[in-house]
Amino acid sequence: MKGTNLGEFEELILLIVGVLFPNAYGLSIRQEIIDQTGRKVAIGAVHSGLNRLEDKGFLESKLAEATHERGGRRKRLFSITAAGQRALTKNHELRNSLWDQIPDLVWKT
Amino acid sequence: MKEQNKDITPPKYADRFLSWFCRDELLEEVQGDLYEYYLIAREENSRRKADLLYWYHVLHFLRPFAIKRGRQNLNAAIMYKSYFKFAWRNALKHKANTFMHLLSLGLGVACFIFIFVYLKGELSYDKFHQDADRIYRVAIDFVDSERRRLPDATTPPALAPALTKDFPEVAASVRLFPNWGGKFLLGTSPDRKFYEERVIRTDSTFFDVFSFPVLYGDTKTALDNPDQMVITRSAAIKYFGKEDVVGETLTLFDEEKTIYKISAVLEDVPVTSHFKFDFLARIPFQNLEQNWGWYNYYTYMKLASGADIATLEPKLQPFFESYLEEREIYNIIYSQPLTDIHLKSNLKWELEANGDMNNVYIFSMLAIFVLIVSCLNYLNLNVAESFKRFREVGVRKVFGANKRTLVGQFLVGTFLITLAALLLGSVLSEILFKTLGDVIGRKISLLDPENLQLFFGISLVVLLVGIIAGLYPAIHLSSFKAAMAVKGLFNPSGKSVSGLRRSLLVIQFAISTFMIFCSIAVYQQLQFVKNVDKGFSSEQVMVIENVGDIRNQQTLKTELLKINEVSSAGLSNGIIGGLNWTTSLGYPDAFTMNWVVIDPEFIETMGLELIEGRNFSRERPGDTIGVTIIVNETALKELKLTHEDIGKSLPLYEPEDSLDTGRGTVIGVVKDFHFTDFKSTIKPFCFFYRAEPQDYLSLKLSTANVPETLSAIENVWSDFSNQTPLEYFFLDKSFAELYAKESQLSNVLLFLTILALFIAFIGMFAIANMTIKDRTKEIAIRKVLGASVSNVVMLITRNFLWLVVIANLIAAPIAYLTMQRWLEDFAYRTSLGVALFLVTIISTLLVAWATVGFQSFRVAIGNPVKSLKQE
Repeated sequence: MKGTNLGEFEELILLIVGVLFPNAYGLSIRQEIIDQTGRKVAIGAVHSGLNRLEDKGFLESKLAEATHERGGRRKRLFSITAAGQRALTKNHELRNSLWDQIPDLVWKT
Repeated sequence: MKEQNKDITPPKYADRFLSWFCRDELLEEVQGDLYEYYLIAREENSRRKADLLYWYHVLHFLRPFAIKRGRQNLNAAIMYKSYFKFAWRNALKHKANTFMHLLSLGLGVACFIFIFVYLKGELSYDKFHQDADRIYRVAIDFVDSERRRLPDATTPPALAPALTKDFPEVAASVRLFPNWGGKFLLGTSPDRKFYEERVIRTDSTFFDVFSFPVLYGDTKTALDNPDQMVITRSAAIKYFGKEDVVGETLTLFDEEKTIYKISAVLEDVPVTSHFKFDFLARIPFQNLEQNWGWYNYYTYMKLASGADIATLEPKLQPFFESYLEEREIYNIIYSQPLTDIHLKSNLKWELEANGDMNNVYIFSMLAIFVLIVSCLNYLNLNVAESFKRFREVGVRKVFGANKRTLVGQFLVGTFLITLAALLLGSVLSEILFKTLGDVIGRKISLLDPENLQLFFGISLVVLLVGIIAGLYPAIHLSSFKAAMAVKGLFNPSGKSVSGLRRSLLVIQFAISTFMIFCSIAVYQQLQFVKNVDKGFSSEQVMVIENVGDIRNQQTLKTELLKINEVSSAGLSNGIIGGLNWTTSLGYPDAFTMNWVVIDPEFIETMGLELIEGRNFSRERPGDTIGVTIIVNETALKELKLTHEDIGKSLPLYEPEDSLDTGRGTVIGVVKDFHFTDFKSTIKPFCFFYRAEPQDYLSLKLSTANVPETLSAIENVWSDFSNQTPLEYFFLDKSFAELYAKESQLSNVLLFLTILALFIAFIGMFAIANMTIKDRTKEIAIRKVLGASVSNVVMLITRNFLWLVVIANLIAAPIAYLTMQRWLEDFAYRTSLGVALFLVTIISTLLVAWATVGFQSFRVAIGNPVKSLKQE
């Protein structure tokens, strides 16, 4: 398995999976990314990210039952694992602590 | 609901493609997402757009994580690898052949790409304007008393405003008033000024009709005031050294010293505009709205959206006539689509020398011909060569190769060659674009996105040729029994094969013959036109342009004549073959008379031949007043005068008012001379004499040492000119522009002919080479039995020469008819004689004989024992 650090785009996906719980699957995640960040991403890019996160153990998934508008195909619903939660918390804390260490003088200029 | 869903299905092939490459365990969710996405996309977009989006997202799944892996058929992969290996080895083994294939195919491709990209440029003229399809130019055909129509691009200044006023369909109209040969001395300060020709005066509505790309400033208000000026980027850099010069001023150094404020900077006018300029200013003249008499403005109109030109067109003529006084014959007014002007309009006084739709057809035909020749050539060579591999095929069959694998093997080989040729051709054409960019006047590149389509087109054609070239021998060869092939019992020059080979050769040579014939005919016509007696001599005539401002022109002339090499000097307000004026003359039947004002020395300077009457004279003040003219022979005929009428005062035109007598005198007649291209017959022309200063001073030089004479002239000039620079040109050069189109055609034709002939030559060379190798033993036996060298050479060459003769018989008549049609456009044309046919057939025969004869000669003088001993 590759390293378990979290890329910027991966972190975004991971967070959004959390936001959308329990209805996080490929297309809804993509839509949310576009709505929240304005970034244009291809469906394939989202799937690729999801796939990587699952490989790293940050996400788990199960197949939901089939719906009509998908031509009878099931969707894969994603949720964050404990490892995923840890990774997110670590990132969050790291960022907060770095943020706090910036001296106030920096913002004055 | 169900029906609706049935209708909304994503593009089938995208779906199939996805299931082909996507990993099975991912497929369901991916397809589901995409399907759902498609439903949303369809609601928001058109079907086309949604399909495209779907494809886009499908292609985005071409990522490592999603693609199937490790399941390919290993066997097939190894097979493909071996195909490539064999193709590569085969190409290396026959290096000379491979090189010839590449070269002939690559040259054909390069030539095709080059010509078509060039033609695409020609066809895209004026399309960059917004709503270019709604913009029209209004032109007028002058009609004379014999109801002949003289097409002319110029219109009266009152036309444009009247169009907007009278027709709700016309959204905007604009007049253009070009420099008409004049030059404008523009500058930022008295010591920084230049002569400018590319100045167009126009209306405030200019940008309502045209949409040239803007860099700075607001074009909506750019020409609202008479003191505003719009300039291009290069003009801005030339005068100010920077691009954003809105708000700066330029002074026109004429008597009034008008100061213009720059209101907008445009991107340089695209090459694909049928008129070009660097400066736009308002028309400075008053009371133009009632002026229906001057014909020196260009009128353009833009229709309102939804308006139809077909309903407007029939209303134009009654509208035009309603503004004119009652008259027996009216000129005919009509509209031309803006985008047709460059290629389809060839009126008098076009703003720029236009292209010619005929040349577009001819060039594209030629490009296709060359491509056909090179493709056929490749096809022919490849088919012929692959039959030499029948033994290899036999062995493969013994080891279990079936038709499919054989076809695969041959296809890979031809594909590699065609791909390489495609690459070579593209690189060659790119080099051509780079080196010829200046000649054709535009920067183009195959890499421009708009040329992508063309590139795919040519790739498809060439790859198709590759497929045929690979498929034919593969299928043919695989139908033989393996054992026979291994034993070598297969005759590669079998009837069907050699039949195909020959017909391909005939087609190639027929096309070459056609092109040779045409290029000689065009060349012959060009020479004919160049050597036609022009009726005056343009050699060594130097024209100084900006003499209009010099008051003491006679002293300038005297001083210039003191230079030994200047043999005569004449003044005029126009240039023969360049710029002249027109008026209506003749009584009672008026016709269009071309005229310029000259002084008495002009006739001699130009080498015009006075055949009757007398020249103008400084001693007779009457010569400078009224209609006292020297005419050409055609004009004399049109005036219906005989030589007894010369020197008499006669009614020559319709009097304009009661003070006007309408009388005039023809004092002399000059021999007819050409002042237009050779497509039209000589038109009536006359000369006036006025004592006022004129714009042009022509000098006849009697030396080949031009540089030295020039510096002497420049010395004299600087004493008179008040620091304006000397601007001049040589008349024979400007005259050559009259047949620039034909020259261009002749050059391109010659180049392509040589190319086609060269490719055909390669083809024949290779085929002959193969034939001779096949028949080496036969030749040896014939020699042993007593055949002479010439017998053997004849035996081989005879067949090939016959092919060439057949090719000639097919192509020459077609070429003859084609060129006859082309020549019909010219009033002065050469005749296509027997000599032309002979030259064509002899030159092709010679080429054929040289290629085949030389090779067969080499075999024929060889020692027969050697070739018999082989194997």
